[in-house]
Amino acid sequence: MPIGSLTVLDAGPFDGVDPDEHVRAAMQWHFTPETGSRYWLERVDRLGFDPCRDVKGVADLALFPDLTDELRDVRVTDLVPRGYGSQARPLHVFESGGTTGAPKRVVQMDDWARHGSEQVARRLRDHGLPVGALWLTVAPTGPHLVGEVLQRAAASLGSPGLGVDMDPRWVKKLVAAGRRDEVDAYTDHLVDQCRRILLGQDIGVIAATTPMLERFARDSDLVEVINGSAQAIIWGGTHMDPDTRDLLQTEVFPDVPVIGMYGNTMMLTALLERVGLAASEPCVFDPVSPYVFLSVVDPDTGQPVAEGERGQVVVSHVSKSMLIPNNRERDTALRVRPAEGHAGDAVADVAPVPAVAGETVIEGVY
Amino acid sequence: MAPVSTTEPLHLDALGPRGAYRTRVPSTVTDVSGAPIARLSLVPPLYVARAIGALRQAPPIAAADLDTVFATAGEAFAAGTVGGLSVREYERLVSRTSGTPLAVVRAATRGTARFVRHAASSADRGRPRGAASDLSDPVLHETHTVWARQGDVFAVNASGNHPGVHRGWLEALALGYRVAVRPSRREPFTAHRLVAALRQAGIRDDQLMLLPTDHAAAGTLVHGADRAVVYGGDDVVTKYAHDTKVLPQGPGRSKILITADTDWRDHLDALVASVADEGGTACVNATAILVEGDPAPLAEALAARLTVLPSLPPQDERARLPVCPQQRARALSAYLKTVAAGTRAWLGGDGIADDLGDGSAVLRPAVHQTASARAPQLRTELPFPCVWIAPWTRADGMAPLRDTLVLSALTRDRGLWESLIAEPSIANVYFGDQPTHWMAPGVPHDSYLSDFLMRSKAVYEGPS
Repeated sequence: MPIGSLTVLDAGPFDGVDPDEHVRAAMQWHFTPETGSRYWLERVDRLGFDPCRDVKGVADLALFPDLTDELRDVRVTDLVPRGYGSQARPLHVFESGGTTGAPKRVVQMDDWARHGSEQVARRLRDHGLPVGALWLTVAPTGPHLVGEVLQRAAASLGSPGLGVDMDPRWVKKLVAAGRRDEVDAYTDHLVDQCRRILLGQDIGVIAATTPMLERFARDSDLVEVINGSAQAIIWGGTHMDPDTRDLLQTEVFPDVPVIGMYGNTMMLTALLERVGLAASEPCVFDPVSPYVFLSVVDPDTGQPVAEGERGQVVVSHVSKSMLIPNNRERDTALRVRPAEGHAGDAVADVAPVPAVAGETVIEGVY
Repeated sequence: MAPVSTTEPLHLDALGPRGAYRTRVPSTVTDVSGAPIARLSLVPPLYVARAIGALRQAPPIAAADLDTVFATAGEAFAAGTVGGLSVREYERLVSRTSGTPLAVVRAATRGTARFVRHAASSADRGRPRGAASDLSDPVLHETHTVWARQGDVFAVNASGNHPGVHRGWLEALALGYRVAVRPSRREPFTAHRLVAALRQAGIRDDQLMLLPTDHAAAGTLVHGADRAVVYGGDDVVTKYAHDTKVLPQGPGRSKILITADTDWRDHLDALVASVADEGGTACVNATAILVEGDPAPLAEALAARLTVLPSLPPQDERARLPVCPQQRARALSAYLKTVAAGTRAWLGGDGIADDLGDGSAVLRPAVHQTASARAPQLRTELPFPCVWIAPWTRADGMAPLRDTLVLSALTRDRGLWESLIAEPSIANVYFGDQPTHWMAPGVPHDSYLSDFLMRSKAVYEGPS
């Protein structure tokens, strides 16, 4: 195998690699017995096409079936590409939130962790984030990706990060069981921890989930201290509807830029809001060529929707670390033309797939 | 507020602390045939939380202004142009979206306006005899008691079954509560008109709000308020049964009892009215009629009277029956058939959905006779004229009469009168020829609302 053709996989996110060339190299890497993971090598015969021959660029990633459900059970060692060597270990194993069933598991090798956080850091600098300012990160850590991404982003800006951990799976369980009081008590517990930090330290950057920011917004002492000292707020981990985003930016935290971050475990990184958007405009997330490609499709036909239309988000992650092609997210978004130099679509106004409103209740007059 | 124009869709904005608020992507309100009819701004939880914060900061309406405000608002609601809508246009929209017959909507407009005008005196009717209305009330010197609020912010999670549902919370405003109303998404027009009319009459934006939300944000509203009333089915009642801050308003299961000493033939009009007036959609419409003796002749007579009601679109002046989307009508019809298994159908046995051909269907009346007063069907309350007729004997006693919002009793038995009044799970009892749906300002609907909102506080003013 001509190793030279694979060096493109080692290039950084800002080295100007051609996305199609990167995808072709990734197919060679993941589907060659010497370098590919056991997981992909065991599936290649069942794909019905030859990835090394038939995938000629980004568009051909659509040939792959969505196999992400299998990531609930696959042994993590089977996910590590052999090309890293027999002694190689993943830097991280991340798990999805478990919203749709048992968590899905992905691995992150050292090189991708580096590239991934490099692109996040670069985008944050584009947003004018201060270097060296104290961060407060209140997000899920542990098996979840978002806390790790934020901690690394802070570090890459030379910022010490203070953290408050949260367990979203426990909260989901409480919500499902209708234990609203306990959800409130847990949220208050998180807010108490944040309050001590916010009132006691000079926090310059706050990175938090949408519900936590909404909760901060109710407490005037927190709103006051954040408006007084923070230089940026980063939200992520969950969705934020356009009206909430507008209210947070224009009414609650008018003095602090509120910057969106869209990412998830299957993407293995996070996308930062496009620079320069007003609170009243849709919040656009550009992809990260050549690693993360987005498309917005009609959920029924799988065909791309027109630009400006809403559809289901499909994400492909292509790196040396992992190949997760054609993953149908539970998100919907507007299809937007991506920023210069990126392949695929950008997405705007990401929202959860609307729950089917139950019209099952018949009895009673209300 | 958006003026009505022919090109722009009608917008129902939230009415928040800083006036009207339109969301980026308002949701669509459709009429009974599924045609879009208006755009409704559903505000996110953050907006709700901040609105509640503003309500909490606001002062109550000044007592001196109450009567003027309510008189002006009642007039505007009944006859004025509010939020860009004339009263005729408003009534047409309510009828088209909720499927309530236009005549019912019109009567409700007049009725609600009357409740608005009397809101202050109605609220005061619930005040205990010993409690002074405020510190300046001379009765305080005798009784050393003041009537005081248990909180500041009252939330209403309203339903859309009948436009009259918005009469209750007016008393909360009169009692000094700041009020947030979450309208029904199916019929948001009445709540919008009432809030807008009250604001037009002088109630400040931070004292009374209209906060349309989705289901999830409704929780933020209910939990954020000091007191809340929530309309819904048995599930809602169960959910809030142990929450002292929430007053659930569930199915009414209103009933009529006729004993052997009374000839029901003399009261057929009241029976028909109890079942079918108001389109049969209110919690005060009769769900069951219990008869001492053979119930068959009554069932037959009632069915004969109800079967002649015409199937018409709701906005037709002659319409008397409710209309809903065809699919829901068929679901209700199928459900009724399942529930009614084992009963004798006098009317509606072959289904109750009557397609109007435009995607909507009329819900026709149903009359079923059960074998006993203990039949489980008697608890099934459906949103159209649907009544269960059962035999009742003295041996059955109180059990089949329990869990009732209004019980009309056609009986001369004074002992029975006493028992019905004493029964805790019967909220209201009407004796004689009075339909179950009768209501009036100052008369409690499900006890005085103030029983839930106020308390009597001992206040002693010693020499200083």
